[in-house]
Amino acid sequence: MSHEVVQERAAAPVGAEAAATQVPFRGGGFRHRPLGLVSPLVFITIILLWELGSRTGFISDIALPAPSQALAALVDLVKTGMLWKHLEASLFRLVVGWTLGSLLGVAVGLFIGLFSLARAGLLPLVSALFPIPKIALLPLFIIWFGIGEGSKVATILFGTFFPTVIATYGGVDNVDRNLIRMGQSFGLSWLSIVRKIILPGAMPAILSGFRISSSIAIVLLVAAEMIGAEYGIGAYVLMAGALFATDQLIAGVALLSALGLIIGWLIGRAERYFLSWRT
Amino acid sequence: MFSITRRRLGGLALSGALAAGTMMSGTVMASAADTINVGLLSLTSHSPSIIAEARGYFADQDLDVEFVSFQAAQPMAVAIASGDVDFGVTAISGGLVSLAEKGVIKIIGGALQEYPDIDGQKILVSKAAHDDGVTTPADLKGRTYGITTTGSSFHYMAHKIADKEGFDRAELHLKPMQKVPAVIASLKSGQIDAWSIVPNIAGALTKGGEVVEIGKVADYIDNYQVTTVFTSTANAGDKPDLVKRFLAGFAKGVDDYNAALVDKTMSEEETAEIVAMIHEYVYADQPLEKADPRIRAGAMRINANAKLNLESVRDQLEWFKSEGLVPETASMDNLVDASFVETF
Amino acid sequence: MKITLDSISHHYGSTEVLNDISFSLSDGEIVCIVGPSGCGKSTLLRFIGGLERPDRGQVLLAGRPPADSLNPLTYIFQDFALLPWRTVEGNVSLVLEDHGIRGDKARAIIDDVLARTKLSDFRTALPRQLSGGMKQRVAIARALSVKPAVMLMDEPLSALDSQTRELLMDDLVDLWTRERFSACYVTHNLAEAVRLGHRIIVLSRRPGRIREIVEIDMPLAERVDRLAELETMQRRIWELMREEARAADMEISDVA
Repeated sequence: MSHEVVQERAAAPVGAEAAATQVPFRGGGFRHRPLGLVSPLVFITIILLWELGSRTGFISDIALPAPSQALAALVDLVKTGMLWKHLEASLFRLVVGWTLGSLLGVAVGLFIGLFSLARAGLLPLVSALFPIPKIALLPLFIIWFGIGEGSKVATILFGTFFPTVIATYGGVDNVDRNLIRMGQSFGLSWLSIVRKIILPGAMPAILSGFRISSSIAIVLLVAAEMIGAEYGIGAYVLMAGALFATDQLIAGVALLSALGLIIGWLIGRAERYFLSWRT
Repeated sequence: MFSITRRRLGGLALSGALAAGTMMSGTVMASAADTINVGLLSLTSHSPSIIAEARGYFADQDLDVEFVSFQAAQPMAVAIASGDVDFGVTAISGGLVSLAEKGVIKIIGGALQEYPDIDGQKILVSKAAHDDGVTTPADLKGRTYGITTTGSSFHYMAHKIADKEGFDRAELHLKPMQKVPAVIASLKSGQIDAWSIVPNIAGALTKGGEVVEIGKVADYIDNYQVTTVFTSTANAGDKPDLVKRFLAGFAKGVDDYNAALVDKTMSEEETAEIVAMIHEYVYADQPLEKADPRIRAGAMRINANAKLNLESVRDQLEWFKSEGLVPETASMDNLVDASFVETF
Repeated sequence: MKITLDSISHHYGSTEVLNDISFSLSDGEIVCIVGPSGCGKSTLLRFIGGLERPDRGQVLLAGRPPADSLNPLTYIFQDFALLPWRTVEGNVSLVLEDHGIRGDKARAIIDDVLARTKLSDFRTALPRQLSGGMKQRVAIARALSVKPAVMLMDEPLSALDSQTRELLMDDLVDLWTRERFSACYVTHNLAEAVRLGHRIIVLSRRPGRIREIVEIDMPLAERVDRLAELETMQRRIWELMREEARAADMEISDVA
């Protein structure tokens, strides 16, 4: 059997001499081309279909409001000036909570990455506390931090702290040991090694941790604003839900999504700036 | 076919609770008796349905009842709108009016109501606020007041207090806390100054000493129709017979409830039996000895024959409109189907 | 400055990696250490550099390093160990910063070492923009900047292709001719050893013992023109190692 195959193959070039054909192309594919126009087109098509569905009644008013209704709710927000009030309140909580959570997270992550004692003592704690849904702790947060800005900032802080810790110590663990050895061999001080080798080396992991923690912060914004918030996009969404005002609900969700896109873009810029050395 | 698609689509988009509800009960019509799903919250005010089921009042009406439990009134209202649950009892909220305006649900009867002669909802303040001089509802001006959500019954009560005491509604700083336990936690710890709640919860709170009672809601709202019975517009319009049979069974449950816990005209033996029935669904996580006094304490009257106080409902609707919480066009006609029960 | 290794032995867990190694390294001398893989060559170098401690025996320093030497024992690594986020000059200035050398003084040193390694045009390039040979030249420039008394070179040319290796060997010979640095040069490549070593220490397979010390009495600068003689020498050393290398290749390694 195998013998025949060999013979066939051997015979092939003889036939090929008579009529040369091109080698069949088998490469290609598995590579992404940038197609910049596709994503806005998909987006616009979905919204148009949605609007059409709502207008014709195929999508019931209860199931989903029309995009135009959501847009009208958004316009109302702008006209009444409430948009800025909500944005201001939410951005304050996001910025303060995320910044503090990230700073603490990087600090604790570095500790765990650098000191065996901290790793042995804190890592199990972090692993135990990370999966706790912070929303479940809300009643406790009220008592600990009050119903003012404290509990809201704390919810976001706790939510962003743990992923940052894990990203940071993972980043520290992944710093090329040879670079650290190089630093030691040149007699660099411990602090210099941490500052000039470990921290920049862990930066890619820390920044991708930021990407995740910023999304978590936005998710938690709604939870944070469950507690006694008069203003804020999360409070607006919750109010819309309670009143079953689905047009406002969609408008609020669109705002959150836009916020996420903007933050994602900013982190992309930061990555390009801080990680320009990467191939 | 088309309407099914629409309903299913609505169901999908509305709430996860619906899917759970469908799975739990299965909306297959039995051939012998009509199967209906009744939404329940773990509150004593939902007792009439429980009693009616346990004592066979629904069976007498040829109804096969399945209970579907909910954690909050909002998802229950949504489940009724989508048709996954047939009947429910809850307070009139902005969400409820909104759904009624969209033409999917209708109030068909009254349930819990404030009466001058029966202990009703209390106005509470934290110990700290009380020490600080908030000893009557008039002192609430400039204070914080806990509510669950915007457009909830708590929101309405707060504004009615402000209106009657003659200060601006905005002078009462409302703090939406989403859930009753969160309001309780913040009231106990003095994070908020005031709240109003049904007597059995109020009683438990004031006993601890961290919370002080300073007034009654009944002084601010006349004959407040606190909760109502509601169903989907489809049920009210297409199956009036089913609605009538449900209400008939429900009304008998109401009579037993009032006799046992409000008027206390029932024998102790029979009352204990009623309490045990209620305990199946309310305070079920506690032993009966512990739950018993809690179920009995501070029971408020539920209207006989599910009579509906239209005047109170209209007042509530007007308030929602005045706050811009529901569309200006919202009407009593869309909200209430008064053809099933006596109204006043 | 003279370095003396006095009967060094070492274990990793239950595996003995080095057994009773003694030799010394004098000023201006390049000693090459060769041996089959896993014989503990690199470990030995880490002992000399003070990055690890041997179980038994000691590494002794005799005499003072030159007064201007910032880091007497300086490494050159196989994988260059450049910080990818720093430019060429940034990588050199890294090792000066901790000695408090900044500003003009640092710039003068950096200019000097980059000129000596023919890197002046690439000051602001990032490591990812450089070829392997260039990266190793940056590492050498970095090592030169701290004025080492002894260079500890751990397979410095092994990650490079053979042509680049040739070029860099020439560079190293030039550099030595000018600077007369002393070096301990670990390699598994015998051609490098015979081109660069004044003495070649041949280690046995694990546990590494000194099999033989080969002296090559030929000036480094002349060697490029006398490759035939070197070839003979290289063959002789290979004969010494062949069986060991074969055996070492069959071993299952549990040592990093």
